[in-house]
Amino acid sequence: MTEERSVEGWSPTIGAGVTLDEVIDLAFDYRGDVTIVRRDGTEVVGYVYNRNRDVPEPFLQLFDPTGASHTLRYAAVRTVRFTGKDTAAGKSYEAWLRRKAQAEESAPLA
Amino acid sequence: MTVPLSQMWTVATYVLQQKLKGQARYPLVLMLEPLFRCNLACAGCGKIQYPAHILKRHLTVEQCLQAVEECGAPMVSIPGGEPLMYPEIGPLVKELVVRKKYIYLCTNAILLKEKLEEGMFAPSKYLSFSIHMDGPRQEHDESVCREGVYDEAVEGIKEALRRGFRVTTNTTLFEGASPLRMRQFFDEMMDLGVEGMMISPGYSYSKAPDQEHFLRRQRANELFSTMLARAKRRWRFNQSPLFLQFLMGKQDFECTPWGNPTYNLFGWQRPCYLLQEGYASTFQELMETTRWDQYGRKSGNPKCRDCMVHCGYEATAVDHTFSSWRGFRDSVVATVTGRL
Repeated sequence: MTEERSVEGWSPTIGAGVTLDEVIDLAFDYRGDVTIVRRDGTEVVGYVYNRNRDVPEPFLQLFDPTGASHTLRYAAVRTVRFTGKDTAAGKSYEAWLRRKAQAEESAPLA
Repeated sequence: MTVPLSQMWTVATYVLQQKLKGQARYPLVLMLEPLFRCNLACAGCGKIQYPAHILKRHLTVEQCLQAVEECGAPMVSIPGGEPLMYPEIGPLVKELVVRKKYIYLCTNAILLKEKLEEGMFAPSKYLSFSIHMDGPRQEHDESVCREGVYDEAVEGIKEALRRGFRVTTNTTLFEGASPLRMRQFFDEMMDLGVEGMMISPGYSYSKAPDQEHFLRRQRANELFSTMLARAKRRWRFNQSPLFLQFLMGKQDFECTPWGNPTYNLFGWQRPCYLLQEGYASTFQELMETTRWDQYGRKSGNPKCRDCMVHCGYEATAVDHTFSSWRGFRDSVVATVTGRL
């Protein structure tokens, strides 16, 4: 099995080989919190749970850690930093098998 | 095949009503996920990998009932996460029973005995505990990545049956499953006295840790054909016989992604229970603005290529039953004779 590379810790610069649409798609797919940097320099941290490009004014939605929902237009976003832990990373089936084998080795014999 | 007659009648009249109304797309089962939190971290699950503040959140009963109202499906499946960890599960189930919705409460059963002893639920023809059982003891414990869960689930099943509840099992099969051991497992479940079993191949969630063991379509056909060949009359399946025939490669169905719409903390999930490609804020928006032609095997979407999961195809099988005399006849014959 190949472990998918995580974007955890990535701070992309929009335009340098990556578009804002692509970065927001990655943020939507990311299973951790991100920091949205607005064009005015302010930031909001949270989990991006939705995005929609198929509307006249594309938007993304996130829950911040207090549970408040925010809706931001793509036009207001400068970039997205992948600042939170990727909760889907590092939990491979192989890792579970290794842990299981280790547990069995360390268990006292019946 | 056993689904109670009253439930069959409710589903049949609902489907016929939709057809009489000329409704091309209609929901059959609402997948209601009140929370993502779980007390297991199964290798094949892609549902629970979220930051802690998301896992701590859950829907209110009012939000759940609003979704049930909007959707209108006659059956409500409550997966998750682990629904017995949802603090409002008792009141939610009570409200759904009042609304005469057939409920499948999908649980790993770790907490079932405790909740039953607390008197959280009352037996009802509308309520069925759908217990996650991925095969015999060894296979199940391996699948849920924890030793001892099979035995806990069996205890939960016995307690629920003793108290007069409807109990079904829900089994997801992965590559490497042994048809012979699965047949023994079916016997074990029947010996326990469960009402019926549900079986389905797993879906390779992109976020699931285990990507190697999901069944590809041809392998799935081979596995289910061998497993269900000369199915014993005592085996009872709580699903459409045509869906089982589809798993065996005897029926060629297309996915019905709107058949089991999903509502959770994020809204109405596009397009289906398995794929998370965005969320709609209302059920109507989901149905009207999702590009349904981009999903299903015929669409060529690689995410749908090998999917044979019941949440996409059971609705097709049910619709097929009521779409032609042949479909109806096949369904009745398989139900009455038990032959697949």
